[in-house]
Amino acid sequence: MMSFLMAVSVSACGAKDTPATTQGAPTSAQPAPSEPAPEYPTKQIEYIVPYSAGGGVDLVARATADYLSKEWGQPIVVVNKAGGGGAVGAEYALKQAKPDGYTALAVNVSNTTMLTAGMLNSPVKNEDQIYTSRIGKGTLAFAVKADAPWKDFAEFSQWVKAHPEQLTWTSVGPAGFSAFGVAEWLDAIGADFSKTRMIVTKGASDSVPKVAGGHAVLAVHTIGEIMPMLQAGKVKILAVSGQERSPFLPDVPTAEELGIKGLTVFWWTGVSFAKGTPDYVIAKWQESIAKMEQDPAFVKKLTDIQVENDYANSTEFNQDVNRETAYYTELATKKNMRK
Amino acid sequence: MDTIQLLMDGFSSALTLENLLMAAVGALVGTFVGVLPGLGPTSAIAILLPLTGVLEPTQGIIMLAGIYYGAMYGGSTTAILLNIPGELSSVPTCLDGYPLAKKGKGGPALGISALASFGAGVLGVIGLVFFAPILADQALKFGPPEYFALMLLALTLMVSLSGGSLIKSFLMGAFGYTLALVGLGPSSGMPRFDYGVSQLMGGFDMISIIIGLFAVTEVLKGIEERRAGAVIAKTGSVYPGKEDLKKSAAPMLRGGLVGFFLGLLPGCSAAITAFLAYDLEKKVSRQPEKFGNGAIEGVAAPEAANNATSSAGFIPLFSLGIPSSPPLAILLAGLMIYGLTPGPVLFEQHAPFVWTVIASMFVGNAMLLVLNLPMVWVWVKLTRVPYGIMAPIILMFCTIGAYSVRNSMFDVLVAFLFGGLGYLFHKYKWPVVPLVLCFILGPMLEESFIHTMAMGAGDISIVWSRPISLVLLIAAAALLVISILLNRRTNQRVKEERERGMDVA
Repeated sequence: MMSFLMAVSVSACGAKDTPATTQGAPTSAQPAPSEPAPEYPTKQIEYIVPYSAGGGVDLVARATADYLSKEWGQPIVVVNKAGGGGAVGAEYALKQAKPDGYTALAVNVSNTTMLTAGMLNSPVKNEDQIYTSRIGKGTLAFAVKADAPWKDFAEFSQWVKAHPEQLTWTSVGPAGFSAFGVAEWLDAIGADFSKTRMIVTKGASDSVPKVAGGHAVLAVHTIGEIMPMLQAGKVKILAVSGQERSPFLPDVPTAEELGIKGLTVFWWTGVSFAKGTPDYVIAKWQESIAKMEQDPAFVKKLTDIQVENDYANSTEFNQDVNRETAYYTELATKKNMRK
Repeated sequence: MDTIQLLMDGFSSALTLENLLMAAVGALVGTFVGVLPGLGPTSAIAILLPLTGVLEPTQGIIMLAGIYYGAMYGGSTTAILLNIPGELSSVPTCLDGYPLAKKGKGGPALGISALASFGAGVLGVIGLVFFAPILADQALKFGPPEYFALMLLALTLMVSLSGGSLIKSFLMGAFGYTLALVGLGPSSGMPRFDYGVSQLMGGFDMISIIIGLFAVTEVLKGIEERRAGAVIAKTGSVYPGKEDLKKSAAPMLRGGLVGFFLGLLPGCSAAITAFLAYDLEKKVSRQPEKFGNGAIEGVAAPEAANNATSSAGFIPLFSLGIPSSPPLAILLAGLMIYGLTPGPVLFEQHAPFVWTVIASMFVGNAMLLVLNLPMVWVWVKLTRVPYGIMAPIILMFCTIGAYSVRNSMFDVLVAFLFGGLGYLFHKYKWPVVPLVLCFILGPMLEESFIHTMAMGAGDISIVWSRPISLVLLIAAAALLVISILLNRRTNQRVKEERERGMDVA
C-alpha cells in the first residue's frame, strides 16, 4: 500500500520519464564513441532480492540501494521475492523483467554457482546474466556446541574421519554453501561424505540453534550468521576457511593453520543484470559501486553485519564465477550431490 | 533486583516525547495494516524498514515493534465485524466474534478482544523482563523430535475442532497438506508438483490462500445474499459488561499462558497458539456447543494467545537472535542494520536500548487499548457503508494484500481462485479450518520428521525415548481418545433426544 503510494508519487514527481530504451538486439549494443551514453537512471529501479528480508544478501542489498539512490537521485526499491532457494526471484529478474537496466538482481553464491552445480538443469544459469559487481564476502565458520569435547579443528577432523556415521550437520538446502563447505572439508581430510547425515534447514536462524541445543553436531555458516549464538556462549567456532584469519574473529585459527588445506568455499554477494542489458548501465553500476566501497559509512554497515567488502568489477567477477562453477560442479559430481 | 532499576530507566527514556510519538505512530500504522486483509505486520515492517535510515536505533525499533503488535490488534477488529481475519492469527477470532457481531454484540466482543490483547501483551512483556535469559535456554532443548510430537498434538486438536463430520475434516486436512506439497521439498530441494511452471516452484503462499478462503469468499457470499449496508444493526457499547468480563477472565488467562509458553518456541506462530487456545476453551467448556455461535470465551482466549505469542517472541529474539516468526525476522534485520546483534551481549552492551524498547512495549500496549476502543466506531461506520461500495474496496485490499506477499500477480490469482473454492466449500458445508491448519502444519510436520530421521539415523524410536517429546505424544494420544469418546457420547445423546421425539437435525 505505502510502497504503491510512494511509487505513484515518485513517478508523478519524476521529472522526465523517458520511455525505456528499446534495445531489440540481445547482444549489448555498443554506442559509437562519438555519441554520449544515454542518461541513466531516469526513473525508479527495482532491486530484486530472491530471499526473505533479514538475511545477509538482503542487508547488503539494502545498504547498496540506500547509497546508490542518494548518489543518483533516483529511488532504488528493494523487492524481496523469496522461494525456490533463490531461483524464483532470479528467474523473475533475469527472464521476466525487461533487460533495460531498471531491474537489478542481488546474486550470491547459492543462487548462482552452487545452483548450477547442484542441479542438473538449474532454472537460471551463468549465461542468463551479466555479473556486474561483487560487493561483499563472508568467511565460512565451522561451529559446534559450546561444550563439545574437541579441543580444536584438527582433533574434530580426526574424530569425523573415524566416525563419519556419527556426524550430523545442518545445511541450508541440499546444495547450499554449507553443503559445499562440508563436502570440500571431508574431501580434504579423506572422510566418507556419504556416511555423514545432512539435516536440511530453512537457514541460519533454524540451523544454529539445532547445534546449540545438541540436536546436530556441526553447523557451517558465515561468521555473521553464527555471531549471536557465539556471543551467547552457546556454540564455539573451531575454525574458519580461507587463507587468513577473519578480522571479525582474530582468535579463531584458519583450517589451514591446523594442517587442513584447500578449504576455499566462501560466501559472496553482488549484483547482476539480465543478458542484453545495455553497456552503459553496467558501466554506471560498476563505477558507482567501486566508489561506494570506499565510503566509510557503507563499510561500517557491512562491518556491523560481519560482511567484508570485496569489490570485483564485471570482468573479474565473471572470471571468478566461471572458475567457481567448474570447481563446484566437479565437487558435486564427485560427492553425488547433483540432482 | 537491578532488573527493576533498569526497567525504570527504560521507562524514563520511553516516556520522552519522541519515543511516545514513535510508539503511537507504530501502534496506529500497525492497527491500520492489521485491519487490511493480507497486509500483515511482515509486509508493513518490510515496507517501513528503509525509515530506519533516518531514525535513531531506539526510535526505529520502537516504531517497528509497535507495528508488530498493533497489527495483531487490528486483525481482530475486522475479524469480528466483517468475518475478515486481517491475518492468520485472527482466524479463530472470527469463529465466535462474527456470530457475536451478527447478534448485535460486536461492541462487547471488540472490547473483550482489546482487553484480552492488552492483558496478554503485558503478561508477555513481564515475562520478557524476568525470564528472558532462563527461558531462552529452554527453547534450545526443543529439537526435531519434540517438534514432531508437538505437531502431532496440534493436528490431533484440529480433528476435534471442526465440530462437523470427522471424515470431512480429515479430507479437507489432506487437501490442505496436498496444497502445501507444491513447491520445493523442504529437505530434497527438488521441485514437487510444479508441472514446469516457475511460479508453482515457489509454492502456494499461505497469505494468498487465507485471503481467498476468508476475505474473497465473504465478498461472494455478500453478493449472493444481496447484503445491504449496516450488516450489524447495533454493536452495543464497546465496554463489556460484568457478565462478559466474568466469563472471559479465565479464558484470557489460559489463552495468555498457552500463547506465552508456546510462543517461546521458534516457529510456533501466533496462529498456531490462537487455534490451540480456542480448542482448549472448547474442550474445558461446559457448553461446547455454544462455540461457533457467539461464545465470548471464543474471542477472549485466542486474542489473548496471539498477543502473548507476539510478545513472547521477543525473548528468543533478544536473548539469542532467533526470530520465531517472519515479522520478527525483519525486526532482526532492523536490529542488524543498527549493528545491534541480538544475544545476551546485547543486554550487557546496549542495556539502555533494550530496556527502553521493553518499556515502550508496555507503553505501546496501553496506547493500543486507549486508541482502539474509541476507534472502534470508525470500523463500525465502515460496516454501515453500502455493500456495493464495500465489496470492491475489500477486493482491492485483498488484491493489494495478496500482491504484496511476494510482489507477484500469481498470488492474486491464487487468492481469487480460493475465493471461488471457499464459496463452494461454504455452500456445501465443508470445513475450511482443517485445510488451513494442515497447510501450515503439514510442512512443519514433514520437516521435523525428516530431521528426526536424520538425527536417529533412520530409527524412529528417538521420538519416544526423549522425555519432552514422549509427554507430548502421550498428550496427543490421550486427546485423540477423548475426542473420539466425546464424539460418540454426543451422537448417543442426539440419538436419545431423537427417540424422545425432539427435532434434532
